[in-house]
Formats: sequence, structure tokens, C-alpha cells
Amino acid sequence: MDVLNVEYMLGLVPVLLRYLPLTLQLAGVGMVLALILACLFAVVRVLRIPVLNQLTIVFISFFRGTPLLVQLFLFYYGLPQLVSALTVIDGITATIMGLTMHFSAYMAESIRAAIIGVDRSQTEAALSIGMTNGQLMRRIVLPQATRVALPTLMNYFIDMIKATSLAFTLGVTELMGATQKEAAGSFLYFEAFIVAAVMYWIVVELLSKLQGYLEIRLNRAYSR
Amino acid sequence: MKALLINTLLLFSLLASAPVLAQENPIRVGMSGQYFPFTFVEQDELKGFDVEVMNALGKEMGRDIKYETANFSGLFGMLESGRIDTVANQITITEDRQKAYIFSDPYVYDGAQVVTKEGNTEVESVEDLKGKTVAVNLGSNFEALLRELPYADQINIKTYESNLERDTALGRVDAFVMDRVSASQIIKEKPLPLELAGSPFSRIINAYPFRDTEAGRALRDEFNKALATLRDKGTLAAISEKWFGTDITRP
Repeated sequence: MDVLNVEYMLGLVPVLLRYLPLTLQLAGVGMVLALILACLFAVVRVLRIPVLNQLTIVFISFFRGTPLLVQLFLFYYGLPQLVSALTVIDGITATIMGLTMHFSAYMAESIRAAIIGVDRSQTEAALSIGMTNGQLMRRIVLPQATRVALPTLMNYFIDMIKATSLAFTLGVTELMGATQKEAAGSFLYFEAFIVAAVMYWIVVELLSKLQGYLEIRLNRAYSR
Repeated sequence: MKALLINTLLLFSLLASAPVLAQENPIRVGMSGQYFPFTFVEQDELKGFDVEVMNALGKEMGRDIKYETANFSGLFGMLESGRIDTVANQITITEDRQKAYIFSDPYVYDGAQVVTKEGNTEVESVEDLKGKTVAVNLGSNFEALLRELPYADQINIKTYESNLERDTALGRVDAFVMDRVSASQIIKEKPLPLELAGSPFSRIINAYPFRDTEAGRALRDEFNKALATLRDKGTLAAISEKWFGTDITRP
């Protein structure tokens, strides 16, 4: 058994750290866009807006029903074959598109569930004292739904950070891509991948801390 | 007077920038960055034989080179969809590829080599691969070469995105097939218990592929001119000697 090359691992840390920002950027932008899209989908589904509701159901079904890697290949390699102008979609754009659509499909369902979960009697009560639909959403439903949805949405964000590791298949050198290349050059696989693993882990741990803090804040009204 | 001076300066700067303008579109070159010692990364630096040859070509052509790294199996998709202009990753000229792409003049002559774990006495030549599991890179020409063998149906071919050297060293597969020069170099320089099994079994000739379009053909001609010059100057041979201790750029 070879001895672990600690020196190589330490040397790799600053190198791989340079690619962490891109990983976070892919996931960060993807998450913001996915949240917006998921909220729209959830509202369409809850209110059952005709036509849009059906389209949303098909969209969610497709993007939840196919692997992310297949979707990424479709966006990156497939679309330019149909319309050559779509070559402007570079690897980073295609990755963000894929992450956004894939995860918005999942998140739409958990947001919808959180909205439905707010007791109907509260809606009726709010309407009976003369609140408008907008007020009802803003003051009664969304604050409660956010609290319920937060843990699952955080889960998806964590999953998304790790899913960025697929971007290298589209030629985007993010943390995983950089690691793969370093490992292939040195043939020190364990050393290279354990460094990358710990980096992902630390990022996710920090996010879990943030989640804990947010949950305490959102639970304030309930803890007496 | 002042206006004249400014005009002259402007004119000069325009003249000076003309060749720069021509260079504004760098040649986008795809490579895996995972094919030691042709293209690999060490401490964030892209290196290797293919990088050095391409840099020399770029210098000769007066063009900037922009490298795009992606897994090998994705490179032809990137070429096809116009995201890169050529691939510098030891692309072997094959009939199938010639149907889809045009090739520059060859710049590497090499052979297909069977490599096994050190101490493997069962596989000592390509004939011994019958009934064995053999690793090749996904989309590589070596897979096609194995499938052409008369006893191909008796070989269990396993395709990899990368890291097949490690899997062979671990004994997960009986052997892998790759080009002779890089296999020898890996055995010599890297800490993997591997050995060559027999002599190379098929000759491979490598070149740069381009899209079969007007722009692609023009770029191919530009490449051929620069390749010929570098060959005459001895640059190609020198780069090869540096990496392999032998000249693989001549037949």
C-alpha cells in the first residue's frame, strides 16, 4: 500500500480553491433562478391557472423524470445541432440552465406542498376580515409556507452544489473538473479526490449552519 | 500642429492594431487535459506534448491559442457544435472520422499497445486478450481497433472516461489499450505497477481534425503550412525528444 502523499495534498489545496468560486457561482445563480421559477410554478399549480397549469405539469414531469446529465447534454450538445445559433450557449450557461430547470421542477413541488399545508381555515379567516388575495399571501400564507419549505429547499441547494460537479462533462473546469485533471496528471487519485471531497463537505457544513440559524429565526413566533 | 500629431498617432495606432485585430479571434483548441504526457495538468498548469506543439503552431501562425478542456468523449461534440476549432488530443485518423471531419497532415506516428498490471503472465500480447476484460477510453480509436480483431466478440471491452490506468493497476480489468509512447512514459514516470504486454499491434497516425466547412478547410491549410515549417526547422522533433526521448513526429 502506498503511503499517502500529504505534501501533494497540501499543495493541491490552494490550486483547487481557485475553482471553488466557480462551483459556488454555478450553484448560487442556479439556485436563485430555480427559486424564482419554482415559485411561479407553485403559484400556477395552486391557483390552477388554465393552460399554464398543464404546461407546468408537463415541464415538471420532464425535468423531474430525466437525469440531469441527460438534460445538460441536451442543452449543450443537442440544441446547437437543431439551431446552429444556439452555439452561443457555452458550458457555464448550459450548466446553469440545466441546474435551474432540473431543480426548479423539484422545488416547485415542495413549495406547492408548503403553500397547501397552510390550514384552510386561516385563509378563510383572513378573507373574512377583508384581506385582499395579495395581503392574504404576503401576510398569512407565505410566511408560514417559507418556514415549512426552508429545510427542503436548503436540501435542494446542497444537492445543487454537488450537482455542479457534472459541469466538467460540458468543458467547464470547476472544482471537480480541476481535481480530475490534477489526478489524471499525477495519478494520485485518493489524494486529489479526498481534498475535493473535504472542500465540498466544508461548504455544505457552512450552509447547514446557515440553515440552522434561519430556522431559529423563522420559528421565533412558535417558540414560547 | 497638435491635431496633426493626434492624427498621426491615431493612424499609427490603427496600423499597429491591424495585425492585432486579425488575431482577435484565437484558435479554440479542445483537449482532455487527462492524457499524460500529451495533455495533463500539474498545479493548475496545462502541460504536455500536445500543448507545446500547439503553442509552437500558434506562434508560427501568429495566432493566439485558447485551450478548452473537457472529457475526451465530449471533445468531438464540441467540435461538431462549433465551440472549438480543432482537437489536440492525439486524434487518430480513421475512416469513420474522415467521413465527418477533415484532417491536417499527421504530426504523430505511434502504435496501439496492450498494457497490463506488473507481473501479469496471462496477457503477453494482443492475442492473449481473448476472454479478457480490456479497458479503453470512451470514444477513442483504441476501442475501434479492438473491435476489428477477428476474435473481438471474445473480448470484454470496458469503456472509461478517464483513469483506466489506475483500474488496470488495481486489477479490476486485465489490461488496457493505449498508444505506445504515452504508456511507456506512464510506466517510467508514474507510481503505477504496470508493464507493456508485447509489441504494438496496430499503427496509428494522429492529426488535427477540423469541421468540413470553408473556415475549417482554411484553418486546416494554415495548420499544414505551419506544421511543415516546424518540421523543417526541427521544432517538432525537438519537442518530441524532450517528452519521449525519441522522434514520434516522423513515420
